[in-house]
Amino acid sequence: MDYPVYNIFSRNYSRVMFGLCVLFTGIILALLVLVTGYLISIGAHSLSIDFFTRLPIPQGMEGYPGGMKNALVGTVVLIALASSVGIPIGMLTGIYLSEYSANSFLAGPTRFICDVLTGVPSIVVGILGYELVVRPIGHFNGYAGGLALAFIMVPIVARTTEEMLRLVPNSYREASIALGATKARTILKVVLPAATGSVITGIMLAIARVAGETAPLLFTTLGSRLLVYNPDDPFPSLTQQIYDYATKPDPAQQKLAWSGILVLISLIFVLNVGIRYFARSIQSMTA
Amino acid sequence: MSGPLVGPASEYVSASRSEMTDRGSLIRSGGRFGADTILSLLTAGAAFIVMLMLAALVAVLAHASLPAIHEFGWSFLVSSEWRPNALEVPKTDANGNVIIEDGETVTQTIPPSFGALPVIYGTAISSGLAIIFAVPLSFGAALFLVRIAPKVMKGPVSFLIEFLAAIPSIAYGMWGLFILAPFLQRHLESWLGHVYAAAGRPRVLHWLFQETSLLPTGEKLVRDLPLSGRDMFSGGLVLAVMIIPIITAIARDVLKSVPRAQIEGTIALGATWWQTSKEMLRYSRAGLFGAVMLGLARAAGETMAVTMVIGNNNQIRASLFAPAQTMSSLLANEFAEASTDIHRASLSEVALILLVMSLLFNIVARYLVVGKGSRTAAAH
Repeated sequence: MDYPVYNIFSRNYSRVMFGLCVLFTGIILALLVLVTGYLISIGAHSLSIDFFTRLPIPQGMEGYPGGMKNALVGTVVLIALASSVGIPIGMLTGIYLSEYSANSFLAGPTRFICDVLTGVPSIVVGILGYELVVRPIGHFNGYAGGLALAFIMVPIVARTTEEMLRLVPNSYREASIALGATKARTILKVVLPAATGSVITGIMLAIARVAGETAPLLFTTLGSRLLVYNPDDPFPSLTQQIYDYATKPDPAQQKLAWSGILVLISLIFVLNVGIRYFARSIQSMTA
Repeated sequence: MSGPLVGPASEYVSASRSEMTDRGSLIRSGGRFGADTILSLLTAGAAFIVMLMLAALVAVLAHASLPAIHEFGWSFLVSSEWRPNALEVPKTDANGNVIIEDGETVTQTIPPSFGALPVIYGTAISSGLAIIFAVPLSFGAALFLVRIAPKVMKGPVSFLIEFLAAIPSIAYGMWGLFILAPFLQRHLESWLGHVYAAAGRPRVLHWLFQETSLLPTGEKLVRDLPLSGRDMFSGGLVLAVMIIPIITAIARDVLKSVPRAQIEGTIALGATWWQTSKEMLRYSRAGLFGAVMLGLARAAGETMAVTMVIGNNNQIRASLFAPAQTMSSLLANEFAEASTDIHRASLSEVALILLVMSLLFNIVARYLVVGKGSRTAAAH
């Protein structure tokens, strides 16, 4: 290898590169400000109470363009659907990876597959939902979307649960065993409670991730302008309605899309930041 | 000093594996049919479901694309024609003259035809552009975070960059569509267009500002590109903004794990700041390459933002300022409306190609980064 030579040239070169690193960080932070600044300021200008309280109103009718109440309800229902499937499977997998992976031929591949699954393009998952649910049933429906979102949640929840359980000190487990508890009891009553805060954080991050997903819903739920509660019908969602309105030429609908973006980003911000602190405080209380 | 200063980079990245000692082994199992058995079966079952998920994904997509694979075979990968509808054209004889019988032109129907080359090209170029923009910025920022940033700055800057990663694709799409594309159109592209016109529209630049399309009649149509700001270039830019946080976060973690002795060694030899940094980059090259691969995988699979800014034109154009189409944007645009089985099967085959490609990228990346970046990636 080259020996580092201390001379004027390399010193100045070093200064230039140092400056570039600072500059590049500055550019990234500027990009952050440019992106979030525009999204938040335009969103804030567009947002009105109608967004939360009214349903979409067709063009030419009184009150056009209405709001996105149906989409908000739809997103909540979809997340609930996805969570009810994705969180149990994800958590159980995480428990398996952390607590049962001894002498298991399944653990290594499972861990690897979880990591690989987090990188699968979400639109591909949408096609899976279409082929597995929409095609057999014969029409677009909410279940397919929920399933697609659950698919995205599982690996995230599994890996975060595993990592959080690994952080629980081994002495906890040893103490529990020493007191005569079985393995299941140890996991359910000692290990999981000790990691509750951080496991919840992982779940919230997974929810934040799927709340912003659009691509897997395009050909599973299809979207709807109606207030639908039954997931057997084509189902509305916030992200999809934003996409729909954003690509329409009408400024009134684009405005709704901007409001939707603001609501979505706020939700994700709250899930990301708020829960992080919430989890930390729970943990410090229990520890 | 002879011999290399550093060991193989894989040595330190895989070291974290050995920390993964197993807690479960300390605990003895209880009764045969008790809660223990149930919980262990449940968890193993869940782990098995996860493995099934991947298998199902590949199997279902492969099954769905079978008709297209049968119909087009390998030519699907190299054909650049994407025509979901049958085409009626006048029949021509051997001399190229239109055949007329009983005073009417005889028509023939050309069946629909599908080829994935334009979208493979679109995905490759847009992701490549994104990597070119994002990697220097991300590595610079990662070095900044590891070596320059004062302690008080590290936390907030890291958090901001990670928040950038949590913003959903659709939000970047809105930003790209309403802020970036108009900006590029009004400033960069119109300026370039003026320069082009002022220079007398030189022949050597035709590829950048003009497009040639082949009409069904066989004629060539040359016209100026619209320079609308919704093109390959802005698609690449939006993708770059989206993958910067991922590459930065992983590169930061990888650089952070360069052993202290390594850094001190170079400093002791009289290295400048940059020479030390270069050594750090060299030392962690495997992990950094993994970070780039993860960024590439994300860029290639990204859908909404690209669909909204890339212009959605399913043709290969040499110019970066021409509208294009990626695999994912093609799926987003056409899958829900595909009416024929062969159209849907072709789209499924595009999805299969996308899946296999991203699996490959991910496997290579995970292999290189091992446990290091996986958590960051999982959180996003």
